[in-house]
Amino acid sequence: MATELAIQIHGLTKKYGRLTALKDLALDVRYGEIFGFLGLNGAGKTTTIRILLDLLRPSAGRAVVLGKDCQLHGLAVRERVGHLPGEIRFYGDMSGVEVLNLLARLGRRPVEMSYRRNLLERLELSSSDLRRRIREYSTGMKRKLGIVQALQSDPDLLILDEPTEGLDPLMQESFYEVLFEVRRRGRTVFMSSHVLSEVEKVCDRIALLRKGELVLLSPVEEVRRLAARRVRVIFDRDVDRGPGNLPSGHEILSLQPRCWTVRVSGHLGPLVDAMAGLPVRDLEVEKPRLEDVLIKYYREGPS
Amino acid sequence: MKEALWLGLHSLKRVRVLVLMIGLLLAGFQVLLTMVARSIHRSNAFEDMSKLIPDFMRQLLGPSFIALMSFSGIVCVGYFHIAVMGSLVGLTIALATEPASEIETGFMDLLLARPLARHWLISRSVALIVVCTVFTLLMMMIGTWLGLYCLAPTEAEWPSPRLIRSLVLNLGVLMLCWGGVALAISSVSRRRSVAGSTAGLLALSLYLLDYVARVWEPAESVRWLSPFMYYNPLETILGVETPARNLWVLAGVAFAGFVLAYFFFSRRDL
Repeated sequence: MATELAIQIHGLTKKYGRLTALKDLALDVRYGEIFGFLGLNGAGKTTTIRILLDLLRPSAGRAVVLGKDCQLHGLAVRERVGHLPGEIRFYGDMSGVEVLNLLARLGRRPVEMSYRRNLLERLELSSSDLRRRIREYSTGMKRKLGIVQALQSDPDLLILDEPTEGLDPLMQESFYEVLFEVRRRGRTVFMSSHVLSEVEKVCDRIALLRKGELVLLSPVEEVRRLAARRVRVIFDRDVDRGPGNLPSGHEILSLQPRCWTVRVSGHLGPLVDAMAGLPVRDLEVEKPRLEDVLIKYYREGPS
Repeated sequence: MKEALWLGLHSLKRVRVLVLMIGLLLAGFQVLLTMVARSIHRSNAFEDMSKLIPDFMRQLLGPSFIALMSFSGIVCVGYFHIAVMGSLVGLTIALATEPASEIETGFMDLLLARPLARHWLISRSVALIVVCTVFTLLMMMIGTWLGLYCLAPTEAEWPSPRLIRSLVLNLGVLMLCWGGVALAISSVSRRRSVAGSTAGLLALSLYLLDYVARVWEPAESVRWLSPFMYYNPLETILGVETPARNLWVLAGVAFAGFVLAYFFFSRRDL
């Protein structure tokens, strides 16, 4: 049902002269999920985000955000959206609190001061920090201020472009906590990133763009399942034979008398069958990494 | 509407020091001119001074030359002095290029991520241009009257309030005209420096065109292209009524510039 979708993108295309930045993009984002939008630099992530916010006009296709066409009803859409741009720049002569107040006044949703204070505390921006001019802020502080301005009105949908760029690891953790809380309260998060570990940790589903085209749209768990796992089989004593003919998806990396190392894509069943009757002491299965799959997609596409 | 008001106040706050400084400087310049006029008047040197003016300048100024060589004429110089016109047009261009600056700095992304219609950003700039134009011209008028009340010799003939009002009105419309042109340029630019320098170079070129066309006949045929042609302060000082057409042309260019700015800005990619 359309109402269960926070974002619906149909055939979205954006051309800059001869260059096609986005080609026939189609994807849906459900309410209440954290959706990761991945791709290398120049893949079209920011272009998509800017179209959703009606900062860019698509060459073809349309996007429906929170049930409304983002171009025809842009104001109604943006009333319920919080946005963190990828390259955030404030006026250096304004103080942090002036920026937050101005941006709060420009929105139509009232800003709960207690909620803003809570965000500021969690992101460790003190009131003395907020009184300082932005030109005195570090990159990380500007990013934190950007996060607060996006979240302060508690919007229904958060559109975040590379949100943790410039944050230290501790702040990244705090930010993830904030995102989880936002999700618990039923809000939707659409975030672009190229930090795969972050996506793996935070997102429910991901879409992967490559040269403006969607090459993967899947729950994170599914993607992880696609990843090849490295399996080490350790024996009690020397084994003088190999595992025999293993089906496709199994690649033998090394065969030693007391240890086999096999890369397995898919189920482990055939490998377990091949070990029948052998003096197996231990089986080490590496946790599949999202990175392994995504890097392949980055390089080669869906084929 | 409320959001647009906040945006306007934010912009006004950002330019307040610049506008205030220019207003004070121009008011001070008016007072200074009155002092100069008083000094010349006291030494009865208007005639000597007119002898120093080269023939080509007399030719250029025409009959208004006589009007200029008077107490009243010197006091009014501030309303068409090249430095004054340059700073006023420069200020207008600076105000009009705010949208390009907001795009360049990325602040536009934060503004338009709010439920703020694009036309409000242009309306804000139009309002800012109008408010700052009115303010600076009021400051100039204040400077003129302050100078006259405090410094004018009793026997000197003051410029009439009607003359000052007419000069101010014409100069104001000229500023709005450049505001419109600069805003239209700004609405299609991504960088303030590009928008500002384009509008500035255009203003300078058209100022020179107007000047050259007065003394070089071949250029006369294209003089109408220069907005400066429609601002004739010397004739106004002579008491010639400014043709309404001049005001309409300048106001028309300003209006067209504003309309184009709305049009371009509402359609462009940001």
